[in-house]
Amino acid sequence: MEVNISTADQILTTDGIPLKVSLRKTERRNKIRAFLLVFPLLLFIIVTFIVPIGDMLLRSVDDSQINEVYGKTFEEYKKWDKEKDQLPPEAVYRALFEDIGYGDKLKIGRAITRMNYSKSGWKSLIKKTRRQINKIVKSGELPTSYKDTLIEINKGWADPTFWYSMSQMLAETTPIYYWNAIDRTYDQDSKVIMQSEERRIYVATWIKTFKVSVYVTFYCLVLGFPVAHLLANLPLRYSNLLMIFVLLPFWTSLLVRTTAWIVMLQQNGVINGVLVWLGILSDDGRIQMVYNMTGTIIAMTQILLPFMILPLYSVMKVIPKSHMRAAQNLGAKPVRAFMRVYLPQTIPGMSAGGLLVFVLAIGYFITPELVGGKDGQLIGHWIAHHLKTTINWGLCSALGAILLGIMLVLYWLYNKIVGIDNIKLG
Amino acid sequence: MSKLLKAFLFASFIAFPYTASADVTVASWGGAYTESQIKAYVDTYDAGTVKFENYNGGLGEIRAQVESGSVIWDVVDVLPDEAITGCDEGLFEDISAEYDNFTPAPDGTSMIDDMAASGVTNLSDCCAPQIFWTYVVFYDPDAFSGEKPSKIADFFDTTKFPGKRGVHTWANGFIQMALVADGVAPDAVYIVLKDQTGAVDRAFAKMDTIKDDIVHWSAGSKPLELVKSGEVVMSIAYNGRVGAANLSEGENFEYIWEGQLIEQEYICLVSGSPNRDEALAWMIHASSPESQALQAKYITYGPMRASGIDIIKAGEPWFHTGIDVMGHMPNTPELLKISVMGDPEWWSDNGAEIDERYGAWMGN
Repeated sequence: MEVNISTADQILTTDGIPLKVSLRKTERRNKIRAFLLVFPLLLFIIVTFIVPIGDMLLRSVDDSQINEVYGKTFEEYKKWDKEKDQLPPEAVYRALFEDIGYGDKLKIGRAITRMNYSKSGWKSLIKKTRRQINKIVKSGELPTSYKDTLIEINKGWADPTFWYSMSQMLAETTPIYYWNAIDRTYDQDSKVIMQSEERRIYVATWIKTFKVSVYVTFYCLVLGFPVAHLLANLPLRYSNLLMIFVLLPFWTSLLVRTTAWIVMLQQNGVINGVLVWLGILSDDGRIQMVYNMTGTIIAMTQILLPFMILPLYSVMKVIPKSHMRAAQNLGAKPVRAFMRVYLPQTIPGMSAGGLLVFVLAIGYFITPELVGGKDGQLIGHWIAHHLKTTINWGLCSALGAILLGIMLVLYWLYNKIVGIDNIKLG
Repeated sequence: MSKLLKAFLFASFIAFPYTASADVTVASWGGAYTESQIKAYVDTYDAGTVKFENYNGGLGEIRAQVESGSVIWDVVDVLPDEAITGCDEGLFEDISAEYDNFTPAPDGTSMIDDMAASGVTNLSDCCAPQIFWTYVVFYDPDAFSGEKPSKIADFFDTTKFPGKRGVHTWANGFIQMALVADGVAPDAVYIVLKDQTGAVDRAFAKMDTIKDDIVHWSAGSKPLELVKSGEVVMSIAYNGRVGAANLSEGENFEYIWEGQLIEQEYICLVSGSPNRDEALAWMIHASSPESQALQAKYITYGPMRASGIDIIKAGEPWFHTGIDVMGHMPNTPELLKISVMGDPEWWSDNGAEIDERYGAWMGN
């Protein structure tokens, strides 16, 4: 008799079920159990991370609310063959009259906030017009010429620039907020053009944010490397003490550290005071070190330094001291041994620290706001500004999405160059 | 843990939201301002419980609450342009039909007329008056040995009064002052802004003249530190902060009242408030002339109702420490003549664009 053991389905367990089936069942049960274990975490991530980010991405392209209010007007508007400095035909005015006159008050109210992003003045134009239109609708005597009536109500309706700015609102799904986020807007034919010169602010802010982050990352690396090296190579009792000096500020409130830097750096502050006392500076020649870019970079570097030191330290700690000795034994000068043997081994730490510091710096808000003065308005400032003050959530989301995009590109680049497996956080 | 204790904890957990919902919740700015509100409007109120929560301003959180249908704030303390926008968007409930039920002035003047006497004519339909706060220039008289600055033009004159100036990182307040310093009459500032093309350019040109001498601040406590430490010789600040330093901390700062921008502060009823009627009753209490005057005992923001000022004047020394407070009130009839009264409607139209332009101006 021959038993074919190569096909498992012929092997039965004690209760008569084929082994394969039984194994699959157990495996599935294990999988379910494992899934149930991580399920709360998964749910947490979905609710607190995926959903809000998805919502943000949707908001950055969504313009359906205004299309719901001005559906008729936009339909007529799209038919209008625009010529320079011409007003739209009667049909557009009529549709607008009807959209405003018979539309829901609150929806119109919400739409004007959005209209005002395209051109200042929409808010009061629509509000004043609406009051008059309501009177006319109530009286029942509809106008013979809607165009003349509207222009009579408010001369804003004879201003082509209002009509042209409407071209920014026509699509339910729109990239306009992304264009706004890089100082572009639409002209009357929905062609992308530069924002008017005095309103161009975002490109400069993106560059400034990027610059600050690069500087801060660089200075953190330059300052953090020797400290981490020292920490990793000193005898334990000294290095523990030094570690406290790294961690203590790390555990101190961000606001306290920021304010401390103002006290140190301001014109009548500690550093200027000492320099004047030593006679290095004259009393009138005190240096402006805070409320500008210098102050921002100094404070941010100090605050983010631990994020560089800690990953570097954890990497350097495990590099055997014998490596350097071996290199020198084989004839390398200390510099060469360091460059060829030690430095390459610290790359995982440097890149982890660099990525951490850069990512944190690019979204920084409160420290530049407090010590930066006129230079302190990084992109985080404008995101908060549009979230709270102008409630332009479309632009706010677009800025956030671009920031997220930049991070993803960086991450991808990092993965290409260094490899994500090489990251070491501790 | 005993069963009883468990049951009790469970019960209190379940019961908590219900007991809490009977209170009127007011969101306000916190700090000394909210303290003064609690003393003037809550400690004096017997008809129900009112609790205050802090927020950082802006309509963002309110919109999120109303949109998601989970309104937890009944009343919010907001800036004037937000009062208008929030009312338009339906974030606040229209209470204009109730205005007749609000407390009249002691001489019988209605609330609306009482506010008009202070120069406020554009009350949003959803809100009740609170206080006036202002952007005002102040300085330490000890910092000037000879002549001391007295006009807003002196703030823009760095040859006559050398030294740095403290200015905030947004445009409102500063551009109005620039126009007054450039020769526009305070009560004509908004007329010029509305009707003259290039008025904003004119303000920016004036601001350019001191651009290199500005230290920008963004937190309200900062200008006092800047002036005190000598970092700047003059600064724009919220008048209440300067008043507090003078009245409670023994400072001796001087104001340049000319060209100050008077802004209105409102309390508004949030749409879908779970305690609408209780909240409205409290709003009526908090906007009476007596309540508003009482707030000036604790902070030097001016009552928006003109009759409030009369009560303070008659009751001097009014400040809770027993000092005269009228010298720090920003909206006495004399000061109203040399101040710019904020026009939130214009600002809600143009503020966003001007703030962007101001951001670009600062950065270059």
